[in-house]
Amino acid sequence: MKQVTIIAIIAGIAAVLPLVTGESPYFIGVMISVLMMAALSSAWNILGGYAGQYSFGHAAYFGAGAYTTLIMISTFNFNPLGGMVAGIIVACIIALVTGSIVFRLRGHYFGLASIAVAEIVRLSALNFEFTGGAQGILLSDVSLWGVDLNSKLPFYYGMLLVLVVSLGITLYMRSSKTGFYLQAIREDQDAAASLGINLSFYKNKALLISAALTSVLGSLYAVYIRFIDTSAVLDLRLSIEIILTAIIGGVGTLWGPAVGAVLLVPLAEVLRSNVIGEALVKHGIVSEKSGLGIFFKDNLAHAHVLVYGIITVLCILYLPKGILGLFRRTK
Amino acid sequence: MIEHLLHINHVCKHFGGNVAVSDISFSVDEKQIFGLIGPNGAGKTTLFNCISGFFPVTSGDIIFDNKIINKLRPDEVCHLGMARTWQRVKPLGSLTVLENVMIGAFSITNATRKAEEIAFEQLGLVGLSDYATKPAGSLSIGLKKKLELARVLATRPKMLLLDEICGGLNLTETDTILDIIREVRRKGATIVFIEHDMKAVTAICDWIVVLNSGEKLAEGRPEEITRNPDVIEAYLGGGQNA
Repeated sequence: MKQVTIIAIIAGIAAVLPLVTGESPYFIGVMISVLMMAALSSAWNILGGYAGQYSFGHAAYFGAGAYTTLIMISTFNFNPLGGMVAGIIVACIIALVTGSIVFRLRGHYFGLASIAVAEIVRLSALNFEFTGGAQGILLSDVSLWGVDLNSKLPFYYGMLLVLVVSLGITLYMRSSKTGFYLQAIREDQDAAASLGINLSFYKNKALLISAALTSVLGSLYAVYIRFIDTSAVLDLRLSIEIILTAIIGGVGTLWGPAVGAVLLVPLAEVLRSNVIGEALVKHGIVSEKSGLGIFFKDNLAHAHVLVYGIITVLCILYLPKGILGLFRRTK
Repeated sequence: MIEHLLHINHVCKHFGGNVAVSDISFSVDEKQIFGLIGPNGAGKTTLFNCISGFFPVTSGDIIFDNKIINKLRPDEVCHLGMARTWQRVKPLGSLTVLENVMIGAFSITNATRKAEEIAFEQLGLVGLSDYATKPAGSLSIGLKKKLELARVLATRPKMLLLDEICGGLNLTETDTILDIIREVRRKGATIVFIEHDMKAVTAICDWIVVLNSGEKLAEGRPEEITRNPDVIEAYLGGGQNA
């Protein structure tokens, strides 16, 4: 089956899903997180997976989208779409400045420099007044063309749309000159240059596409949550989560980032809400008073990051090519 | 004045206080097979890196096809019609053999199908058609060298810089590569070729420049070079029988 068809089928299923399940706010909320992480990770994958440039600073573009959109809406009375476009522009400017500096570096140095740039953006947002500093930005009611944006559904479909666009771009690129060139850059930069590939042009092209998509997701997120601060949208943790999702799913594959998000986001949710621990106690499998019971009921919920971390380490140890790497035929 | 395709004009390359290439001049004519030889550390590969745009020269000029190219990036040099291979082969390991060659072909076309067509043609020329769908990283060294050759040929170069393309190959493989090089020249390309293997060089080259310790030691036709006492001394060491 053609990949385009698969994308269409999955998008179709995702599109009717809320109609089938009913509008359970919790379920839709988790699904929005899944779609957002899948799209973020897919966007990162264009630069990290195909061009091999591991950016550890993608939170900067997410934050640029989020902050620009909310500032435009609250200060300049833009509508959310206008804010989103402004966000793309700001993210692309940051990307171009970043690219011109950090793409001179290769390998680990590129990764380190990308963290540095993202930290500069974060600290700026934390200290400037127009970004609300440490207080962040709070948005009151917002609507677009009479559509009530207090509901979750518009954001569900928004995230889904960006995910489909990211997958579509990845799919198109894979069979085009740009995609081949990015992969050549990933494999060997000197060989790529000697075969006529303008390294900085193609790296910047990948970064711009990736940053623009990431900033759109930041805009959606900001209008969806209606409150942002630097720890929510500009944190290094976000950048790392994006990378982990891609790595665990399968870097440099079309579906890897989406698969990673489908597994990791609900997993994090289950661990955080401690569904398993509470169920064990509730059904009397483990006594509430016993040491084990206390561990399951109280401690495990606090340890969700630890469990998440252990699963991640196991994945990296035993599935170095990601989950999709298992299924990839050896050529 | 005769038109030279490549003209190296008093080129020097220093790394800090280390002089790798010192005041080298020579010219390569169109359709020549030109050999660049010399013992280890003579500066051959450094000179290649300067010509192909990877190193800036310290002084001097490199003129290719009537353009000064020593300020250009490697990809720009490639687009002018000069392509190089690497002494330590650089296959794009996780891509297939066909895809490797397609990446070369993309320098002259934007269409994927056309690139594939050109790539198949080059694979046929070097005899790698059967390996088209194999990952490039899985090939043996002999096949990787052929892949390097196919990949640069796909850029349709006017001039090929081949850096020890026969290094590490057995006699049969060397002969195959030399046949391919002759065929490429017959089709109109000029070839500059670094080699250790004196037999390969004398068998194929029209003109040879010998480097030693970054300086030009001698130049001439192969039979002159093999009889030149300075060259014999540089290669074999005075009085020794190797």
